[in-house]
Amino acid sequence: MTENVIEVRNLTKVYEEGDVLAVDDISFNIKKGEIFALLGPNGAGKTTTISMLSTLLRPTEGEAMVNSHKIREEPDMIRKSIGVVFQEPSLDGDMTGWENLELHAVLYGMPKKERREKIREVLELVSLNDKADMYVKNYSGGMKRRLEIARGLIHTPRVLFLDEPTLGLDPQTRRKIWEKIIELNSGELNMTILITTHYMEEADELADRICIMDHGKIIALDTSENLKRQLSGDIIEIVFEEIEDFSKIPHIISELKKIQGVKDISMGTKHENNQGSENQFKMPPGMKNINPEIMRKKMNEILLDPEKFLKATQKFPMTAQMFEKAPYDVKERVANQFKDSELIEDLPPKIKNTLKKILSGEYKKEKQMREPGLTISCENGGKLISDIIQKINDLNSIKIKTIHMHNPTLEDVFLFYTGSQIREESSGKMEGIKNHIKMRQLRQK
Amino acid sequence: MSRKVTNYVKIEGNLRWESIWYLAKRELLAYVRNKTRIITSIAQSILFLFVFGLGGFNTQTPSINGVEVSSLAFTASGIAAMAVLFSGVFGGLGIIRDKLFGFMNELLVAPVSRRTLMIGKTLGVALQTLVQFMLITILSASLGFYGYDLSLIWRVAATIPAGLLFSLGVVGIGMTVSTRLTDFQGFGLIQTFLIMPMFWLSGALILFPEQFRLIMMLNPISYGVDIFRFILLGVSVFPFWLDLLVLTGFGALLISIGAYSFTRMEIN
Repeated sequence: MTENVIEVRNLTKVYEEGDVLAVDDISFNIKKGEIFALLGPNGAGKTTTISMLSTLLRPTEGEAMVNSHKIREEPDMIRKSIGVVFQEPSLDGDMTGWENLELHAVLYGMPKKERREKIREVLELVSLNDKADMYVKNYSGGMKRRLEIARGLIHTPRVLFLDEPTLGLDPQTRRKIWEKIIELNSGELNMTILITTHYMEEADELADRICIMDHGKIIALDTSENLKRQLSGDIIEIVFEEIEDFSKIPHIISELKKIQGVKDISMGTKHENNQGSENQFKMPPGMKNINPEIMRKKMNEILLDPEKFLKATQKFPMTAQMFEKAPYDVKERVANQFKDSELIEDLPPKIKNTLKKILSGEYKKEKQMREPGLTISCENGGKLISDIIQKINDLNSIKIKTIHMHNPTLEDVFLFYTGSQIREESSGKMEGIKNHIKMRQLRQK
Repeated sequence: MSRKVTNYVKIEGNLRWESIWYLAKRELLAYVRNKTRIITSIAQSILFLFVFGLGGFNTQTPSINGVEVSSLAFTASGIAAMAVLFSGVFGGLGIIRDKLFGFMNELLVAPVSRRTLMIGKTLGVALQTLVQFMLITILSASLGFYGYDLSLIWRVAATIPAGLLFSLGVVGIGMTVSTRLTDFQGFGLIQTFLIMPMFWLSGALILFPEQFRLIMMLNPISYGVDIFRFILLGVSVFPFWLDLLVLTGFGALLISIGAYSFTRMEIN
């Protein structure tokens, strides 16, 4: 029997000015002792959600309960029972660390005796006790973040809200903050934590459950494991030795499909393509609800237009990887597009170098591989992999060159849910930034 | 969809005096720690005193309602009023700083009423202003601008309540404006179109001839200047009761508007 610390029912927020639907009818529960992550791109409505739950903003529609208080009716009770760490820094740089915490303790109505003890305790927790008398303006980014977390804990809240707690921090500092978050959640404190982030690995590392938001809506909510499983279990890629007779492949596929747990088999692998260059683009596994035809068309469009290609490389780091793996003739085609174009200078260095080499003839045409491959998506790949090898050997027809298995990453999931949307917006990056700025201005009013 | 314009959530509840005191203390500490600000404001006052008190801008000895007063005393009391005006308005504008550096979020999410926050802030800035103003008054009194006699001590002491009363309205101006501004760019605008005209048209440094007195009468700052002159010099343009009345009304009005703007202020 676990109690719900946060219950959200049909919560909606419309910013009247600018008519922005920031949060669109969302509902979820957060259980006691859970780390719950709101994951989504910028402008997805995460901060607005957290602002409503922390009673800074009034919802347009819907209701939410935090620690069994309604956000509309008892904002002060909620505020006393939650700790908030904002996305943007919210410390007074002209006061020392201690003074910042002391003012907070006073505002939360703590008696004088308790204050001193508690401040010392939380400073200890975030390992800042020796920096307490330093002015906050002289703190490093990570120290400020830790101080803010400490401040959020002074009044022993039952829930901690962390809005992008590691934004702009270096990897080591980020890891330290993760450790602190896990420490707070585990053991005696067993604090419920609601965290928003757009770092996939952060949600993956920390959260018990992940709620993916985009355009104000919840588009997926489950544990990280389940989200990944939902996508398509494990992915096994097999590359065969060179063969002459391709007609054996369909037979192998139909045989492999008989193995229980195998969900889908497709020809070709990420690493190798034996199809024509028109169809060289391969769908990420599991993205079944996107019409591959549309994607292919899009892809060809990008390959034919240097400007679009440039935009794509800037928007999706994935593009660079995909380009590296593309067959030579595709690369050559792109290179020809960029001939005599100044746009080539703006491309990521790796692509730029390759293209320049091709244009100058330095790049030797690679030997085209003639090795067929299969991509198998299945449940429980670890168990199936031996069955699959067995089966292929039993057929005694073809030799396996390499076999490779991986799990879908949270990034695959994230792109699966939110990526399509971004891709279809042809207006591109600027639009996104403009929207983000607009949302921020509205929030600050 | 319901048409609800307000986004903020109101915390009802009583004033919390300890919170108010700590908020005020924060402002005072910020003032005391900012040595450059103290030094610049005193240096500025000395410059004004030198130019206007000794520089001969006032070719004839200034006279208030026919009574001639010393040029230095006249200028020094005007500069004291200037200190209140500048320090009060800019102190009130400090809210923009809190908004921009995010500290306002921390305050707004705390379980205290907006009124508590507002009063704490106002009190802090008013005390800050008072310190600034007293520094200048004590400095000019000890230099003998107001003459040396037994009444000097109580005259200087009497400026404390008067200065506090005057500063409330001024802080209210700063508060009201700053809740509406979102960046520092409005500062220049306020300086040029609000503070400077109010200062120069108040008679703090240059007294207008009789026929232009109406301008002074319409400017609430004139009454702040006037009340200091009444207390320190013993002569004033307006009767004392009028000064008191206008300053009280001005203070009450601006603080109410400031409080209203503050409770309606919205932020991320």
